[in-house]
Amino acid sequence: MAEIKINARGLQCPGPIVQLFKEAKTCACGDILCIEVTDHGFKKDIASWCKKTNNILLSLDEENGVVKARIKKA
Amino acid sequence: MESENVVIIGGVAAGTKAAAKARRENPDLKVTVLTRESYVSYAGCGLPYYIGDVIKEEKELVVKKPKDFLIDYDIEVITGIEALKIAPEEKTVTAKYLSDGAVREFKYDKLVLATGASPFIPPVKGKELGNIVTVRTLTEAFAIKKLFRERKIKKAVVVGGGMIGLEVAENLVHTGIKTTVVELAPHILPPFDQDAARYVEKYLKEKGVEILTGAAVKGFEANSRGEVGAVLVEDSRLEADLAVLSVGVRPNVELARECGIQIGPTGAIAVNSKMEASISNIYAVGDCAENTNLITGRTVWYPMGSTANKTGRVAGINLSGTQTKDRINGVLGTSIIKLFDLNAAKTGLSEREAKSAGYDVVTALVPAPDRAHYYPGSRDIITKLIADRNSRRVLGGQIFGEGVVDKPIDILATAITFGATVDQLAKLDLAYSPPFSTAMSSTIVSANVMLNKLAGKFVGISPLDLKEKMEKGAVLVDVRSTEEYFVRSIPGSINIPLRELASRAGEIDRNSEIILYCRVGLRSYMAFLKLKRMGFEKISMLEGGIIAYPFATE
Repeated sequence: MAEIKINARGLQCPGPIVQLFKEAKTCACGDILCIEVTDHGFKKDIASWCKKTNNILLSLDEENGVVKARIKKA
Repeated sequence: MESENVVIIGGVAAGTKAAAKARRENPDLKVTVLTRESYVSYAGCGLPYYIGDVIKEEKELVVKKPKDFLIDYDIEVITGIEALKIAPEEKTVTAKYLSDGAVREFKYDKLVLATGASPFIPPVKGKELGNIVTVRTLTEAFAIKKLFRERKIKKAVVVGGGMIGLEVAENLVHTGIKTTVVELAPHILPPFDQDAARYVEKYLKEKGVEILTGAAVKGFEANSRGEVGAVLVEDSRLEADLAVLSVGVRPNVELARECGIQIGPTGAIAVNSKMEASISNIYAVGDCAENTNLITGRTVWYPMGSTANKTGRVAGINLSGTQTKDRINGVLGTSIIKLFDLNAAKTGLSEREAKSAGYDVVTALVPAPDRAHYYPGSRDIITKLIADRNSRRVLGGQIFGEGVVDKPIDILATAITFGATVDQLAKLDLAYSPPFSTAMSSTIVSANVMLNKLAGKFVGISPLDLKEKMEKGAVLVDVRSTEEYFVRSIPGSINIPLRELASRAGEIDRNSEIILYCRVGLRSYMAFLKLKRMGFEKISMLEGGIIAYPFATE
């Protein structure tokens, strides 16, 4: 299982969620997506995205203003 | 020459400020402070945080003790004494020691009334039951803390959704208490406009605070111990083992009224800009005195710590007998609150107040990051700007969000104080580097949006009017990307991304009213211009985008 790192820091409109959609489309089930963003609104978005896509949110942390999420592709 | 006697009734913020300032101005004065309470000079505004254990010990809240005043300033502070009567002819104050009932007369040359304000207790059934409290004095806060130590409180009802009520509610939640706020007005934070207040309400609900608005408390029901067991709200019954009454305060003016001092239209003591009351040699400061609104010139009553300290200082200078004279021309009612990680602030007139004052009001609701969006820690804040269409003067502002709001609200307060127009606001030279702000700061962006609106470059609609417009057949078009739309959208909207708008405009019925929205308003503005060029006529955009939308999304 691959671990894919996405640097979505600095992205605003349309935001890091678009980046995540792209990567999630190409990766395989069980892969882990690690995304880092500076858009704080992403915290809410990622929870909603995982719920709607059935992907699994493994962790969601914030460190020094950077939001880090780990998602397992379902 | 015998030194002059200054007697000050009240010893929290304004009273002690007047005392200390008078003394510094004129060391020959003999200054005496009389207070009913056992504590003086304490941080009343810090009480909610003491309840929530953010502030651990009482000593952290006490700025100065009575003996400090004597040692540091040579001011005599007498605690536990209640002023009963003022005799302006004789220039005396009669007071009674609460401990033994002994009565004593104080002679004054100058008298300062700093009697403060007291919580209003709604006249409903059961209001005298145990565990129904107010949070105004240090003594009351101690009692609440003591109750927490003795008993596990599970459910609380806070009556009143103003600033203090909400601060108390947050702090109760922090201590693990399930909390419901009941507000009689149509929305919480009554001085704010509804768009800002609804946003705060949505946030608080997400944090687990129950909120009922437009709801009247009818009474309190006792439990088996004779303490409060439930709060009766409209037709329902909310179980509670603690009720906090925070429905506002009333100025303490009885002492003044009885000796013939004029009470103003707001119910507080009438004063001039020198803080002089209607009888000579008597001043009134802090929460018991009226204020003037700097914008309208109308008499108002803003019982706030920041204003109390200023008025205390003005009186302290003026009564000291020195050459210096000081005035306070008015205040803006600037205020700020932190609730969990959300900040909300206001200054000047609200949209509602501006309309009732007769201005031709124009508003803008504009989200923007508080610092460079790529700099870690950046957060969105929403600025609601209120201006007068004719003079283009800025009348007020409300700023809310998880980012820094104190700086931009103080920029607005400063701008309004100096009579700035929206045009001037847009050109302010404000400090910028990525950790602090954006190259076009949120204040400037909001001023520019308003300038566009004043110039008729777009038609904006308030999120408060959206529902009604949609019920009347308006089509709501989300012009963000399909991915953003998928994650979260406003119920009832359709999605046509901005980049596809030119090719898909045919999908929209030209005859219906079209409302465009995006995340903050930039893409919807571009979509607006695009559709306008394509000949669409009935178009508008949702101000504040989905970021400022204060109702449920899906």
